[in-house]
Amino acid sequence: MKKIDLHVHTVPTLSDSPFTFDLGILKRYVSEAALDAIAITNHDVFDRRQYETIAEALDIVVFPGLEVTLDCGHLLIIGNTTNLDTFDDHAREVSARITQPGDSISIDELIGIFRNLDESLVIPHYDKRPAIKRDALEPIASYVSAGEVDSTKKFIRAIKDETKPTPVLFSDVRISENMTAFPTRQTFVDCGELTLHALKTCLRDKGKVALSETHGNQLFQVLDDGQMLSTGLNVLLGERSTGKTYTLNRINASHDNVKYIKQFSLVQQDDAACAREFSEDLKRTRSQFIEEFLSGFKVVLNDVMNVDLRADERAVEDYLSTLLEAAEEVDRRDAFSNTALFDETEFPTSEDKVLIDLIDSVRQVIENVEYRAIIEKHVDVDSLKRLAVELIELLWEKKLDGKKKRVVNGLVRDIQTGLKRRTSAAQVQDVDLYKVSLNERKVERFSEIVKCLQEVAIISEESIQGFRILATKCSFEGAGELKSASGTKTAFRDAFEQYERPYAYLRMLLDKEDLSWSELYKLFTKITYKILNADGFEVSGGERSEFRLLQEIKDAQNYDMLLLDEPESSFDNMFLRSDVNRMIKEVSETMPVVVVTHNSTVGASVGADYLLYSSKEIEGNNVVYRVYAGHPTDLSLHSVDDKTINNYLITLNTLEAGQDAYNDRRRRYEALKNRK
Amino acid sequence: MKLLKIENNAGWYLNDQGGFAPVDKITKQDLLRLVSLILAEETEVDEFDAEAIKNQAHQLIYKSISEKLGDLRDRRQEFTDESQRLYLQAYDKYRDVSSQQKDSPDG
Repeated sequence: MKKIDLHVHTVPTLSDSPFTFDLGILKRYVSEAALDAIAITNHDVFDRRQYETIAEALDIVVFPGLEVTLDCGHLLIIGNTTNLDTFDDHAREVSARITQPGDSISIDELIGIFRNLDESLVIPHYDKRPAIKRDALEPIASYVSAGEVDSTKKFIRAIKDETKPTPVLFSDVRISENMTAFPTRQTFVDCGELTLHALKTCLRDKGKVALSETHGNQLFQVLDDGQMLSTGLNVLLGERSTGKTYTLNRINASHDNVKYIKQFSLVQQDDAACAREFSEDLKRTRSQFIEEFLSGFKVVLNDVMNVDLRADERAVEDYLSTLLEAAEEVDRRDAFSNTALFDETEFPTSEDKVLIDLIDSVRQVIENVEYRAIIEKHVDVDSLKRLAVELIELLWEKKLDGKKKRVVNGLVRDIQTGLKRRTSAAQVQDVDLYKVSLNERKVERFSEIVKCLQEVAIISEESIQGFRILATKCSFEGAGELKSASGTKTAFRDAFEQYERPYAYLRMLLDKEDLSWSELYKLFTKITYKILNADGFEVSGGERSEFRLLQEIKDAQNYDMLLLDEPESSFDNMFLRSDVNRMIKEVSETMPVVVVTHNSTVGASVGADYLLYSSKEIEGNNVVYRVYAGHPTDLSLHSVDDKTINNYLITLNTLEAGQDAYNDRRRRYEALKNRK
Repeated sequence: MKLLKIENNAGWYLNDQGGFAPVDKITKQDLLRLVSLILAEETEVDEFDAEAIKNQAHQLIYKSISEKLGDLRDRRQEFTDESQRLYLQAYDKYRDVSSQQKDSPDG
């Protein structure tokens, strides 16, 4: 197997933070990671002179390459070591087109520049940001040898998924003079001589790539000292103060997108504060539910925001006062104000909402497939079709009529403006009384809806991991609650005084400049959560921690690796055995999981794929921290510096407090069991 | 019920006492009350007749208001339908959540 890293940066470009390249560091990286080939892939730049220096300095294969910024994502193009002139020419064309941040080239331009992509290795960012959109790859799909991923989880997922290209895991490292640790993201390929052609052939076969040299995809290198981990479930044992948490911290620091549940992080210190925090957490994770529940109200609110009853009242007032004024001054009328159009009011125009809804409903009955048989049993679908046709024709007629009326209204307005300029007689200001009345109805209905929302009621009941989550709606009880629901520093005392009168309350909220109108729907009803345990009682502090742990483990699905430090610190064995073990095992089927434990319920029963044992050893005057590792059934565990330790002894010592204690406990249990 | 009538060469509207007052005394509240009435129930409005109203001021007011109320009367059914369907989905959804709770024995 050959170990390769075909994504290495050596030149800071527009797309990088500044760094200073150091050839010595690159040499060390190649040597310590035991690489057989690398590719120099800077963003849209190929520095030929630097490349040649690197190639000469290293005694491994160094491919020339580019990380091209496409308009649809990033893509690696790796050229042949034997045809540098051509590659250099193509790279220059790319560089010429990408000269400032935000520049990119299209796939068509890429094809135009490289003409025959068959001569290169083409590796798009596949499950890695910025990822290339799948359909954008279509024109060059036949040239793609592999897809780059950025974690072992995604590597394994791509290996198992037949629809995805062969995954490759590369470092994407900036070789900087300040580097203190080296990345562990490389790929092994089952390839003889490392030529571009041979690599292309290998990469097209998923069976020829692996995360480790000898253990296929079961193990991968997790730390730069060579420490391996299983891509499944790892259990890390060890006495106190032997560096278990230190090891987890190192893993966390050297990988991205890690879910790290630290020791005691879920144990509550202050009961009230924890209960509040817990409820906030729950609210956040369940915000989608709130959105869905309030979506209907949101639509209503958006409409009612545009209803201004005060403006409507003013319009009626203006109409009447100008009408009475005109009547008083009727003797001042002249040729202009005496024209019929001078006092003409506009035609009312309707949006025909009712008719449109009716047509939709009839169409729904006609087009429904699922309940066709029942519909046909009761209704003649052909006559429904005739009904739909008639209604649609009526709608057309009304629409045409509406159009005509709008044209006439416009015309009347123009004429009235002209007449008004020539006369001193007062003109009556028109008002749409239909709209005024409908607005009143809107406000009435809106108030009814808000009153419903303010009544106490359970709006959802859901079972999660043996707990029941109840979401309840009710009214806000004070300005302080509104303030915290708004997430702003706005004062709500005046608004809260109107809380019982929904429309007046809404107008108060609309006057508050700090509030975003799109968030106002959250300020009408308070949604709270209650968690009940299996017996139907509200959860205790301990149960709350259990629930949080299970939620945290579940949340790990959104990450690439899960680290869990001594879950037993806060939980009892029955809980650990029944729920935690099962969930940890499930998560480990999709990503690497490391559990640090002293507890035999977790350590011995969880079904680890790989066992690690951390140990603090005195060598002469020095303290050495070592990690031994191996499969749970191995006789011995091995450290990266080739020391070994007896697996049976350390497991018994760590999980059962030694052979004697274990035998003693077993005898006591036997005796208890045999008592009649 | 008659909302507007022409009598004794003048225009009259139905006031809040159930009697009739001259149209030039109509207020904003009166007008909104007439609007509510015409949209809610079967009502009558004497059609404008320039010959029958001698007072020119009354003529102007009566014509304008009777036309407005007439338009509304013609759209009464539309208004009823539109009002009933107003935010109906949201209304039903939130009313049901609350009423189910009241109905349930342990709610």
